[in-house]
Amino acid sequence: MAKQAPGVRIDGLTVVYKTPAGELPAVRDVSMELAAGTITGIVGESGSGKSTLAFSLLNAVQPPGRISAGSVEIDDLGNVVSFQGEQLRKARGAHIGYVFQAAQNSLNPLKTVGKQLLDLGRSHGVEDLRGLVREAKELLGRMGLDGARVLDSHQHELSGGMRQRVGIMLALVLNAHLVVLDEPTTALDMITQATILRIIREVHAERGLTTMIITHDIGVVAEVADRLAVMYGGRIVEQGPTREVLADPQHPYTRGLIRAIPRLTGDINQAQALPGRPPTLTTVPKEGCVFRERCSLRMDVCDTVDPEAIPHGDRIIACHAVKVKEHA
Amino acid sequence: MISGKGITKTFKQRGSVLAGRTVQALRGVDFQIPKGGAASFIGESGCGKTTLGRIIAGLETYDTGEITIDGVSVTSPKDRLFRKVQMIHQDPYSALNPTRTIHQTLRAPLELRAKQTRRPKSWIDERAHEVLGLVGLDPASVIGRYPHQLSGGMRQRVVIARALTVDPEMLVADEATSMIDVSLRLGILALLKDLRERLGVSVLFITHDVATARYIGDDGELYVIYRGQVIERGSVDTIISDPVHPYTQSLLSAIPVLHGLEEPGPEPVVPTEALDAGHEDAGCLFARRCPFRTEECETGRPVLGLTEGVPQEHACFHPKSRDVVATHLGRV
Repeated sequence: MAKQAPGVRIDGLTVVYKTPAGELPAVRDVSMELAAGTITGIVGESGSGKSTLAFSLLNAVQPPGRISAGSVEIDDLGNVVSFQGEQLRKARGAHIGYVFQAAQNSLNPLKTVGKQLLDLGRSHGVEDLRGLVREAKELLGRMGLDGARVLDSHQHELSGGMRQRVGIMLALVLNAHLVVLDEPTTALDMITQATILRIIREVHAERGLTTMIITHDIGVVAEVADRLAVMYGGRIVEQGPTREVLADPQHPYTRGLIRAIPRLTGDINQAQALPGRPPTLTTVPKEGCVFRERCSLRMDVCDTVDPEAIPHGDRIIACHAVKVKEHA
Repeated sequence: MISGKGITKTFKQRGSVLAGRTVQALRGVDFQIPKGGAASFIGESGCGKTTLGRIIAGLETYDTGEITIDGVSVTSPKDRLFRKVQMIHQDPYSALNPTRTIHQTLRAPLELRAKQTRRPKSWIDERAHEVLGLVGLDPASVIGRYPHQLSGGMRQRVVIARALTVDPEMLVADEATSMIDVSLRLGILALLKDLRERLGVSVLFITHDVATARYIGDDGELYVIYRGQVIERGSVDTIISDPVHPYTQSLLSAIPVLHGLEEPGPEPVVPTEALDAGHEDAGCLFARRCPFRTEECETGRPVLGLTEGVPQEHACFHPKSRDVVATHLGRV
């Protein structure tokens, strides 16, 4: 069966975690579409819910968390939120590839990469294991590594950048066409990061993938993503084409975030830290806008009414102030 | 003034597989950091920047060379003068004892300090409040709390406050912002800059992110370190706008471009190979990865120094400024 890049529609997704204070939402009423064949970047600080959103794509949210509402509809596969057991296990790997955060440490230190590859093949019932190894070597070669040598290596013999590429190989080798990369370059050096980002872009185009990248680093998204979604306190506050969002951010959080990045050129005093601190699961406000505590455009309505995500052309923005500006 | 001359350090590797292999972490490094001044060490992981920072903070020994603090030579990490240098670590989550309140954390060094300087007991709590105020925290609300009740950015401020309890002359910040949320990073950088200006504390900033080096002050010096050798050294602005060493250029080229806000530099430099520290070459340490290498580079090793027409010191046989840095399109 020749597969192609699937489109993904996330609708009204809410993920809650059980805590002593009751069930608290880590992701709240998130709707977005990953168009087939595109790279989407999810940007957010720690606790924004970005990793939880990524896990929901595989229906892999671990207890005490659970998906309490919404659906994740993947082309040729269906709504993964309703999947269970064996059906779910088969979808992961074969349809959806996942490169874990800190892929540098997600390999088994006792087994060679090759042995782990064969384990992966067997657990997914691959009959042609030789073909799988051939495919793995090809992928590693494509990413600038000596495939035979890498498959013979233990994780401690590989550098951080090499392990990251092994992680990408393991996510793609079963021919998945939807790939989720969680913080693919964290803890890597600048030069290695640039290499990995180039590889992600090239492999994405060559194999015809739909890719989602989760990161806290807007620079990473700016380099690779077609579309960008900004998460804050479990909500997507702004999404749209990457270049447009960067050039003309609308939501006050997106603006603040972009202004807070130290840059190499330009006026040094223009960069400013955002006041306040990002909310955690327990400090996210129960009602009203999640960002209002740090917002310079705060109005009365922000305290009581959670702003809806409203399309403005290519952009979707959840902010009362942006709406007011447009009507004025 | 803290300065070093010809600092070398070699690590012997242990374990069954790598036993006997040695790694030259530092190959004769010179540095000078004036009182109240600022310097940044940048380079890839494994280049020796952290080792050098630890040596300066008195947490690591060195093999040869000399370090002087205000003209007095210091050799042993036990030397009391090293107290004048305090280290801010990368991870504020593991730098604070989780079973102690912020008050207890600050009290321990202050008690010692009070004894040394024969100050009354009441001074201890006063000073604890004062240092918390200096780092931009509200003393009353923070002092009774435990580290887990604070955000990463607040914890890093507490770590800085703790360093200030001993009246240091220099703070060594080793990747001090890399584990902090993006929206709060700039606040920590601004704080370090502010402490320099208000207290005259010098700051040594160790990072792989060149852009953050700009934020400790425009009089700061930048040291680009590659495999234990300083390969380019000069003012931050000069090196960012006119880098001459191909390694510095590849570091700058690798910084992500904010497309839509910035244009990429027209002459990016990409190393021809990945870092392989295993080889000991006779020539330039970067030659193997350098796209511009010549025969000369493979036989002789350039030393750090000035050449005609280049304002900064560099260690390259063929220094040439290249336009590698992304330019801001001037919006926002």
